[in-house]
Amino acid sequence: MENNGRFCHVRGDRFLETRDLSKTYAMGTETVHALRDVCFVAPQGDFVVINGPSGSGKTTFLNLVSVIDRPSTGEVLIEEQPTSSLSERELAALRKSKIGLIFQSFNLIPVLSAAENVEYPLLLQRIEKHERRKRVAGLLAEVGLADLAKRRPSKLSGGQRQRVAIARALIARPKIVLADEPTANLDSETGASVMELMRGLNDEHCVTFLVVTHDPAVSDYAKRHVRILDGRLQEGGEDVVVDSTS
Amino acid sequence: MWLWIPLRSLWRNRRRTLLAIAIIAFGTAISFFVLAFLDSSRDQIRASSVAEYGNLQIASPLLFDNEAEGFEYLLSPDHVNLITESLYNEASFVARTVQLEFPGLVASGNRTQVVRVRSIEPESGLIDFSEFVVAGRPLREDDVASVLIGRSLADRLSVEPGDAITVTLTTVDGAYNATPLLIAGVYGFASEQVESQLLLIPLRFGQLLFNTTGVDRVIVGLNDIRATAAARDRIAMQIAEAGLPLEARTWDELSPFYQQLSSYFDLLFGFLTLAISVLVFFIILQVLTLAFLERTREIGTLRALGTTRAEVFRLFFSESVWLALIGSLLGVAGGIILSLGFNGLGIEWMPPGTVEPSVLATRIGLSTAVLPFLVSLTATLFSSLYPALHAARLRVVDALRAE
Repeated sequence: MENNGRFCHVRGDRFLETRDLSKTYAMGTETVHALRDVCFVAPQGDFVVINGPSGSGKTTFLNLVSVIDRPSTGEVLIEEQPTSSLSERELAALRKSKIGLIFQSFNLIPVLSAAENVEYPLLLQRIEKHERRKRVAGLLAEVGLADLAKRRPSKLSGGQRQRVAIARALIARPKIVLADEPTANLDSETGASVMELMRGLNDEHCVTFLVVTHDPAVSDYAKRHVRILDGRLQEGGEDVVVDSTS
Repeated sequence: MWLWIPLRSLWRNRRRTLLAIAIIAFGTAISFFVLAFLDSSRDQIRASSVAEYGNLQIASPLLFDNEAEGFEYLLSPDHVNLITESLYNEASFVARTVQLEFPGLVASGNRTQVVRVRSIEPESGLIDFSEFVVAGRPLREDDVASVLIGRSLADRLSVEPGDAITVTLTTVDGAYNATPLLIAGVYGFASEQVESQLLLIPLRFGQLLFNTTGVDRVIVGLNDIRATAAARDRIAMQIAEAGLPLEARTWDELSPFYQQLSSYFDLLFGFLTLAISVLVFFIILQVLTLAFLERTREIGTLRALGTTRAEVFRLFFSESVWLALIGSLLGVAGGIILSLGFNGLGIEWMPPGTVEPSVLATRIGLSTAVLPFLVSLTATLFSSLYPALHAARLRVVDALRAE
């Protein structure tokens, strides 16, 4: 993918890190290993595309690094801070300040307009109204929805909804955006435009993106590819191992 | 946004919202109507009790409690003067009168009846029964051997104003005294028991018949019925300071019928309110549980975006606050319309123990609105606690998986 002159340098820090991350579920008498000892590091400004077959553990991995779920064993570190000991309230604070989420089904709040959906994370942060409105207008313009700000999600197309979701994920200036199958409910043309937008925002705002997808076309936008198979994370055909002492 | 997100969510599910509001409003309106009806009935009985007993009475506890063996309970003119002086210190005091009552036997032709012969101060303006006269005339100050009898007794004895009856009674000395009395007038009263048993004669003539200068009680009229209890306390204190072995009792303490009926009304309203509250509680609980269940994924999204559990609870609880406020207010409005409509019908009925039909009515007041409003509000808010807490406690990842 061309960067059109914009380029965010991937910094060699450990912005997001997982150590021996495992998740198991009990199904009747059986234990299902959704994720096994995953070690992963993403520096700030990275654009990682994670793919793998259905049921491989991609979404489980995303849920764990977005701290909406807790691992069975292992640790998720954000900006080198462990998250396993954080309370529900602290995790919520972490999500609203540092993490942006984009869902496969957009998950917009149906009773809010496009602008209000984008504004919601700022409201959670108690940001002053004037500042909220200014940032929302700017970001909606950036994702090409300035004219549709007052429309409810039900009056928007799939692509427009996903743009609103992207704007909502970015409005609070998170350090990382986690996207779960962001193009799954979009046609290929709209999907490409959404990915262009995400990659552009990655370049421009230096936000780390982790994109879980089945869609091979999405891989074209990646700075880095990772594959999850049977709960194990592989990069370049090898299981990823991180030296936690380094 | 915390204000209008709940409002918009309610608007989005209009049908369910309207159903919930209708249930709350219906419960509130019924409670309002029943309370307004009971309050009106209570008012009627209160007015009749005050007409019979005055606001409060001052007498010996031996008389009040029927424990006198002789006539030691009678108040001398000096006692009455002392009491009257102390009453002038009471701000709500309007008028006072005295009474003297003895049992007796009334006869007309071959018909006899046990009665209470009450000596009153005619034209005193306080419990002189002048406003209840339905035939003939009220008693006058200068009347001597005149009597006012109840309508039921007049019917039973087949007498009318201008006729004579014979009253036999015992004096304070234990001597029999029989005297003919001219019927000055016939009174009608709310209570059939009063009409058939109470004869009224002028006080001076009564004291002559009973051979005493005393009276058995002082009756006090106040300018505001609500001031009765406080006035009773102050007057009782002054009586005690004057060294008189007397008590002051209020009209409701003297009227066992009012007390019983009032307790019955309280019980009836309490039971009805409880039943309606339980009904509203469970229906709203079901409606909100379903409503919140349908929005599980929305809850997951809100939580994933960083909304805390407390904030989710606040959002969902706010919806029930709006439901409760709107439903209860509409219920009060409905209750007012229902009550006014009922008053407009002017339905008559004959309460037990009465001789005149009374019009069924409701009394609309602030107190009639406040209690049903608060009860519905509380029942609705309680019913929303569980669904709102459940919504707040959902695991984010589970909520996001919901279809």
